[in-house]
Amino acid sequence: MRETLRPLLPLLRRYRRAYILGTVCIILSLWLKLQIPRYFWGALNDLRDLELGQSEFALEDAGGLIRTAAFWILASALLSGPIRTASRILVLGNSRKLSRDLLEVIFARLLKLAPSFYERNPTGQLMSRCINDREYVRGLGGAVYMYMAETFLMYALTVPLMFTIDVQLTLIAIAPYPLFLYLARRIALKIQVTAGAAQASLGDISEKVDESLSGQLIIKTLTLEEFDLGRFRERCAEFKRLNLRTTRLRALLIGTMMGLGGLSTILVLGIGGERVATGAMSLGDFGVMLTYLTMLAVPTRTLGFVISSLRRGTAAFERLREIIDSKVSLKQESDSLGDGIGAAALRVSGLTVIYAPLSEQPHLTGSIPLEHIGGDSDVSRTVLDNVNFEVPAGTTLAIVGHTGSGKTTIARVLARMLEVDPGMVFIDGQDITSLPIDELRSATGYVPQDAFLFGETLHDNVALGSPDAGRSDVFEALTGAQLAVDLDQLPSGMDTMIGERGVNLSGGQRQRTALARVLLLSPKLLILDDTLSAVDTHTSDAILEHLRPFAKDRTTILIAHRLSSICHADNIVVLEEGRVLESGTHAELLASQGWYASTWSWQEQSRVESDVAAQLEAELNADFEASQKPKEDM
Amino acid sequence: MKRLWQFVSPYQRWLWISLGLLVLTSALGLVQPMLIRFAIDDYLMKGEMAGFGWILGGVAIAVLGELAGRALQAYTLDLAGQNALLDLRLEVFSHLQRLSARFYDRNPIGKLIGRVTTDIESLGEMFASGVVTILGDLLNLIAILSILFWLDWQLTLVALCSVPVLLVTTMWTRVRVRRAYEKMISKRSQLNAYLHEQASGMSLVQGFRRERRTKRKFDEINESLCESQLESVNWESILSALTEMLSSVTMALILWYGGGQALEALSLRASGLPSTTGGVAAGMTLGTLVAFLQYMERFFGPLTELSMKYTVMQNAMTASDRVFRLLDNDDKMPESPTPFQGPKTAGHIRFNNVVFGYDEANPVLKGVTFEVRPGEKVAFVGATGAGKTTILKLLTRLYEVSSGSIEIDGINVKDYGLKDLRSRVGIVQQDVFLFAGNIIDNIHLGHPEIDDAAARAAADELHLDVVVSRFPGGYHEPVRERGKGLSSGERQLISFARVLALKPAVLALDEATSSVDSRMEDLLQQAVGRVMKDRTSLIIAHRLSTIRDVDRILVMHKGELVEQGSHSDLLAKKGFYWKLYRLQYSPAN
Ligand SMILES: Nc1ncnc2c1ncn2[C@@H]1O[C@H](COP(=O)(O)OP(=O)(O)OP(=O)(O)O)[C@@H](O)[C@H]1O
Ligand SMILES: Nc1ncnc2c1ncn2[C@@H]1O[C@H](COP(=O)(O)OP(=O)(O)OP(=O)(O)O)[C@@H](O)[C@H]1O
Ligand SMILES: [Mg+2]
Ligand SMILES: [Mg+2]
Repeated sequence: MRETLRPLLPLLRRYRRAYILGTVCIILSLWLKLQIPRYFWGALNDLRDLELGQSEFALEDAGGLIRTAAFWILASALLSGPIRTASRILVLGNSRKLSRDLLEVIFARLLKLAPSFYERNPTGQLMSRCINDREYVRGLGGAVYMYMAETFLMYALTVPLMFTIDVQLTLIAIAPYPLFLYLARRIALKIQVTAGAAQASLGDISEKVDESLSGQLIIKTLTLEEFDLGRFRERCAEFKRLNLRTTRLRALLIGTMMGLGGLSTILVLGIGGERVATGAMSLGDFGVMLTYLTMLAVPTRTLGFVISSLRRGTAAFERLREIIDSKVSLKQESDSLGDGIGAAALRVSGLTVIYAPLSEQPHLTGSIPLEHIGGDSDVSRTVLDNVNFEVPAGTTLAIVGHTGSGKTTIARVLARMLEVDPGMVFIDGQDITSLPIDELRSATGYVPQDAFLFGETLHDNVALGSPDAGRSDVFEALTGAQLAVDLDQLPSGMDTMIGERGVNLSGGQRQRTALARVLLLSPKLLILDDTLSAVDTHTSDAILEHLRPFAKDRTTILIAHRLSSICHADNIVVLEEGRVLESGTHAELLASQGWYASTWSWQEQSRVESDVAAQLEAELNADFEASQKPKEDM
Repeated sequence: MKRLWQFVSPYQRWLWISLGLLVLTSALGLVQPMLIRFAIDDYLMKGEMAGFGWILGGVAIAVLGELAGRALQAYTLDLAGQNALLDLRLEVFSHLQRLSARFYDRNPIGKLIGRVTTDIESLGEMFASGVVTILGDLLNLIAILSILFWLDWQLTLVALCSVPVLLVTTMWTRVRVRRAYEKMISKRSQLNAYLHEQASGMSLVQGFRRERRTKRKFDEINESLCESQLESVNWESILSALTEMLSSVTMALILWYGGGQALEALSLRASGLPSTTGGVAAGMTLGTLVAFLQYMERFFGPLTELSMKYTVMQNAMTASDRVFRLLDNDDKMPESPTPFQGPKTAGHIRFNNVVFGYDEANPVLKGVTFEVRPGEKVAFVGATGAGKTTILKLLTRLYEVSSGSIEIDGINVKDYGLKDLRSRVGIVQQDVFLFAGNIIDNIHLGHPEIDDAAARAAADELHLDVVVSRFPGGYHEPVRERGKGLSSGERQLISFARVLALKPAVLALDEATSSVDSRMEDLLQQAVGRVMKDRTSLIIAHRLSTIRDVDRILVMHKGELVEQGSHSDLLAKKGFYWKLYRLQYSPAN
């Protein structure tokens, strides 16, 4: 446990002064509190002596004595009030700050983790860790620390006091402790495991809620509500089961600790009582002993709570450490001696991408391991196999191929969203893994196949990578992506809030927003991954029209299924199951009569399907020459 | 509170058992000081030891009983609590499922996740240290007070001097604590939402080098959350320290007053005079004083805890407020109380002058009228943002038309049960969404009428087997969150297959093959042709090759239906469609 919690220390150390001060306050207030029984029982002892006629005091003096005792009690009470407040504010406040700092650390780490980490780990799980697990860790720096300090200090202060009264009786009183503490430790270890499982289960719930709410449209249209609720119920039931088990263990632990307190009291009552009766011990001393034990009973009971919270917090922190310790960031030579990225000439030689088995990819432990779903088929998978091509600076390369052939994988490698071994991809002659990631990314404009938009305004989404861009620049980019014509359909034009993931936009609008982003960035290396799939042909032609001059002096990678949109590329690579099947220019590929040629003719042929169309063919051609561009916008 | 009860009441048995145990353990706890008083006054003071063992035994039994009772009590309480929480969680979840699409347009999911997890968790704390325990504490307090009064009512009155002070301060801080918690919870929601969004879009954050700005914004929210928490910490600390202080003050009072009384009694007895102040002072013995002291400990113990629990309660109350406010949200699609219950038939669709806008000011559909006859295959084409997807959303009543009406088989869609309606129309949506699990699960999706074999048959029909055979796990290949780890085309194929497996009366394809290669697309079309033979299908596509085989084409333009007819008719018209067609197949130059 100590090992697990170690990384927490640097964070705690920041508030060292406050913790020390807080602890001092705790000591002070405890010390004051401990004075009370002394005075009280001192006074009572005197009373008893008086009653038994053993006192040398006169009755009148006794009144004064009691009053003095009461005065001291009052004084220490008044004094301890502010001190206690201070100790609580210091320690509990610290725990809030600790929790804030912890989240900062986690988030900083999250920002550094490579995209593959997010591909492997569900967002809902991450969130649950950041929010729910952190709550328990916060307890460690606050309530648990405070109670622990109070409990131990209470013991540290009380037990010596007890010793000064009666060594033997004290020894008897603390005799049961070792056994009980051993028992407590056993239970505590179980609590840690169960609590960890319960936290994991809460993470599963959060993951499920995330999934269900994100998929609401599908769930509604396919009427999957019941099915989905069923899955959710399963996870909740599991969570309940684990929670109840934790409660059982906690009850057991707290019971054990209470039993400990009770046992001590009975021992002292029995043995001490006998001594008082035989006169071997004064009633006052006996009373003080008894009171001290009573005072210890509460911290002892709290000890049960402290131990179980400590374990629960440790379990939670273990889960947070999985994030903090994740090392899934991309390799980066910090002091690159390269000349930076110039014209962005690309060379890919022997590019091979192998996905490790799911169970071997770094992942957070959940209670439903993904790899089990796949059973024994969880093996590594080669998705790119020795791919070679070259893109001279300023030229355009098109990548085509069947579904799942590995096009997107290449794009992700080039945009450094996917780690590759050194010696496979070179930009301007420099190995991509040796270039500073920041520099590479600022030179690259990658439009992923699935447009992700943030729940901000359209303007902010387009200006994502260029915060200094003016409104007119943004508008220009929107025009380039043919989105400017849609602005009047949006309630507040560029300032429309487009909803989470862009739900308030149509599919094509989302895709064009993602494109506009990159146009605004004006990168040296442009990667467009099937960016026009959700856009109608009229608009897509207009975009391509705009892209042609834009891409002129940029190195461009185009990925598409519609061959007509990429046939102008300087070079075309055809992929099949992760290997290069053929490559060349449009004309070369047509001549070689391979996959490309047949797909091209298949796509072309569909236009002469109907007779009428065939008739119109000639007419169309003539027309096209006549009116280069449609005047009406569509 | 009352609403919470509604969830707890099915498990009230456990609650009552727990309360009973609580009373029992409290009684056992309360007996202990009495026994000790007895031991001191009757045995130790008198030096008599015979029978002392019995008392000791009594104390031991009381201690053991209290201990066992408490453990059991905590468990039964949690049994009731966890069961109630489970029900509440399920209720919130299914309520969320009933909320309309419009609700999801407006509410970030990150916030809602917090409602179902964290907020309900704080409600759980309320159970653990709340309701029953507080009730028990109150009972305990009352019992102690009664005993104290019985022991010595004057002394009790003196001891109680401090209680009003406590009450007043509690009242005073109450409002403040609550306000702090409200602020805290809303900040936490904000944090959740931001975290969720940024984590989901992390590759963009990194790709566009937004790390620093994102971090700054995040830290800002985090900081303000922390501030609101610190505020509540201050109030909590003051409250709990005050309670403890008052407990010590009370001790002083007891000693002052009680000690004086005892002295007086003593001096009276010493002088052999009959008591002048009545039995009270005379009855004041050391044992009583000790018992009194122990009772006071037991009195202030729960009181201190009460003040701590009180803040937990505040937290829980604020959280439950949020949860119940969500449950009160009535943004649901209204359902007809007497839904139409006819058989699933032909699939005859009619839109009558449908007007619709996502917000009132911006109509997206401006009076759309069309009819699709049973078994007909109709295509919708038009520029992006023209309103094609919107038509399908209205057809399944994800949104409600502003005016006009939509009929399926002559019945207004409003008169169908929502689920019935949606099971009649199978939509392959433009936005692909897969569930975590495996591929075959994603196809049958728990539909009872589709088993693994049927799902596999549907998938094979679509030639999904070609694609799936590339995966090491085949149809059991794991699918991650939203289908990450599959290519876009693969995802689209799976989401296509699961709708086709349902064999709906009406099939609607919204750009269902946009990310699929053209050969696959051809195979899909043939498959759809086979499966949907004689059934109605609506096809939205940008690639005209996708819609070669349809009977009729409807051309949408800026929310209006501008042309319709067969492929050749439309070409001959030389209108919008002609232009689209010409552009797409203009000779490559
Ligand atoms: N993280 C991953 N882990 C394992 N396999 C993956 C992962 N990402 C992609 N794959 C697999 O790699 C193959 C290539 O995927 P990729 O996305 O590159 O295909 P694609 O050519 O872009 O296809 P599409 O045309 O459908 O977009 C697919 O079969 C896919 O299932
Ligand atoms: N949830 C929503 N909230 C607000 N506005 C929306 C919402 N969904 C769509 N819109 C707007 O309604 C209009 C029509 O959108 P719709 O999705 O129907 O277009 P579409 O014809 O399907 O386009 P595409 O071909 O790009 O998918 C668009 O201007 C879009 O911005
Ligand atoms: Mg792809
Ligand atoms: Mg659409």
